[in-house]
Amino acid sequence: MRQSTHGGARSGAGRKKNSGLFKEETKVLRVPLSLLETVKDSLKIYRAQLNSSIELLLPQDSPKGVNIPIFTSSVQAGFPSPADDYLEDKLDLNKYLIQHKEATFFVRAQGDSMLGAGIHSGDILVVDKSLKAISGKIVIAVVDGDFTVKRLHKYGGKITLKAENDAFDDIKITSDTELIIWGVVTSVIHRCD
Amino acid sequence: MIKKLALIDCNNFYASCERAFNPKLNGVPIVVLSNNDGCVIARSNEAKALGIPMGEPYFKMRDLAKANGVVVCSSNYALYGDMSNRVMRIIKRYSPEQEVYSIDESFINLSGMSIDLIKYMQQLKKQVKNWTGIPVCVGMGRTKVLAKLANRVAKKYAKFNGVFDIDELPKARFNNLLKTVDIGDIWGLGSKSKIKLNALGLSNALEFCGANKSLIQSVLGVSAVRIQKELLGESCLALELLRPAKKQIVSSRSFGHSLVSFDEVNQALTCLARKAVNKLVVDHLGCLSMSVFIRTNPFSKKQAYVNFSKSIKFVNPLYSDRALLPVVSQLLRQIYQTQHQFYKGGIVLTRLVPRGAQYDLFGRVDKGTLTLDKASHKSLLSHVISANEIGNNRWLSNAEHRSPRYTTQWQELLLVE
Repeated sequence: MRQSTHGGARSGAGRKKNSGLFKEETKVLRVPLSLLETVKDSLKIYRAQLNSSIELLLPQDSPKGVNIPIFTSSVQAGFPSPADDYLEDKLDLNKYLIQHKEATFFVRAQGDSMLGAGIHSGDILVVDKSLKAISGKIVIAVVDGDFTVKRLHKYGGKITLKAENDAFDDIKITSDTELIIWGVVTSVIHRCD
Repeated sequence: MIKKLALIDCNNFYASCERAFNPKLNGVPIVVLSNNDGCVIARSNEAKALGIPMGEPYFKMRDLAKANGVVVCSSNYALYGDMSNRVMRIIKRYSPEQEVYSIDESFINLSGMSIDLIKYMQQLKKQVKNWTGIPVCVGMGRTKVLAKLANRVAKKYAKFNGVFDIDELPKARFNNLLKTVDIGDIWGLGSKSKIKLNALGLSNALEFCGANKSLIQSVLGVSAVRIQKELLGESCLALELLRPAKKQIVSSRSFGHSLVSFDEVNQALTCLARKAVNKLVVDHLGCLSMSVFIRTNPFSKKQAYVNFSKSIKFVNPLYSDRALLPVVSQLLRQIYQTQHQFYKGGIVLTRLVPRGAQYDLFGRVDKGTLTLDKASHKSLLSHVISANEIGNNRWLSNAEHRSPRYTTQWQELLLVE
């Protein structure tokens, strides 16, 4: 039989490899429905990073304020401190707690609605306004003008602000509710006294 | 290389700071009052629309405010200053060259950046809003005056989404724009220049551009010629990347109540001197001269207006609270008179010199820098204080409507349930 020169696969046809949403090979995966929004949100953030060519121009942060340890023992007289060779930078809680200092604010929690998340009344919450609020994060939300701290839950296109204390009701966000996500809680500072 | 400057200006900055921590104020008219709740120094768009003028005394607009649900805020400089620092630091990420022009305005240099600058500035605008809650507008142009003008356009016309490059305008449309700009609204020309130029028959920016250069120079001097050149696209004003060295430090206040007794006035001035000395310490400066002044209310009908002041020069520079604060009382004693009601007072430190500079070899050297001063430098807000700073506090300004200092006081953090 004579080989046909028509039909069949043509090389170079179709969508180019690695040209899709993620610019690399992808894979189909089963995701539990309750986690769907969380996974979607984090993929969205990943894609935004992939696509923002401009962002890459920016320096991460000004490299100001790096403390350089100095040698403590004076030379000659006496025995040099054996620890001098091991001097390291001091531990700085600001560095540990704050990722984006321009966007970070401290707020004070009131009431027990988030006890289950380890937030006690009077605790100081470290809030980063620059972070995207994805499902599952604890957020500072403004519901119809009032501030509240709750866990953000997105499921099947519905948004709920969940309290972590059975004595408190969740806040279901309807089309009539005005919701602003003010920031994402990154740490809780609790004093043991 | 294509020259391009951007002016980033916060929208209604003080009102926006209040809104950032109180979303209920969105869409509500807000006015911010000067120190001591004297007069209006900032307005939200809604308050502008009500016709409340800038500088309006509070007592004159109190009824209007009540009738229209205007929210009145005492100025909260601790909050505004902190929010300003945050905004400026974010802006700095977008260019190696930044001039912080005022508490709510900053120029940056974008020259030679071969990217889509509109997109780049949109990103800046978005980042400042997301990170701090403060809305900004960006104007771009080849010169500072043009960038400033572009910012006006960006603010005025919603279709630009807060970012506008004036150099993109074709010549004819640029001229049309200039025609709509009043001569007094050109950056760098004040109300006095406006009167003189109006007298010459010049009323808008286009006419100013077309005016004879030597005429402008003879009427307003060389600085106005620079403004004209800038408007025509020739850059004459460079970015000031370093803050110019301080020439003087002023610390003055209208008092919350009229002060009569010496002790009251003395407390007020000593406390104000403390603020001035703190600035001196932070900037590593000393001063060779100090003045104090006190005055009565110039608008009072009950008493004659008096304005007393006294200065002193020092042989060696003084750096410390220990050396400077006692001088305040000494000077005050020489000008104070019993029968007056003092309404305002202040301290001026002048002839500032860098720390460690040596002057007269035989003069007494201010050694206070080494001990007490160091302790107060460590924590400017909690320190050993002079007895003169203690009193009945009647001098303290009224700030009845001040919002909490959300970002600088642990006791005043935002509360969330």
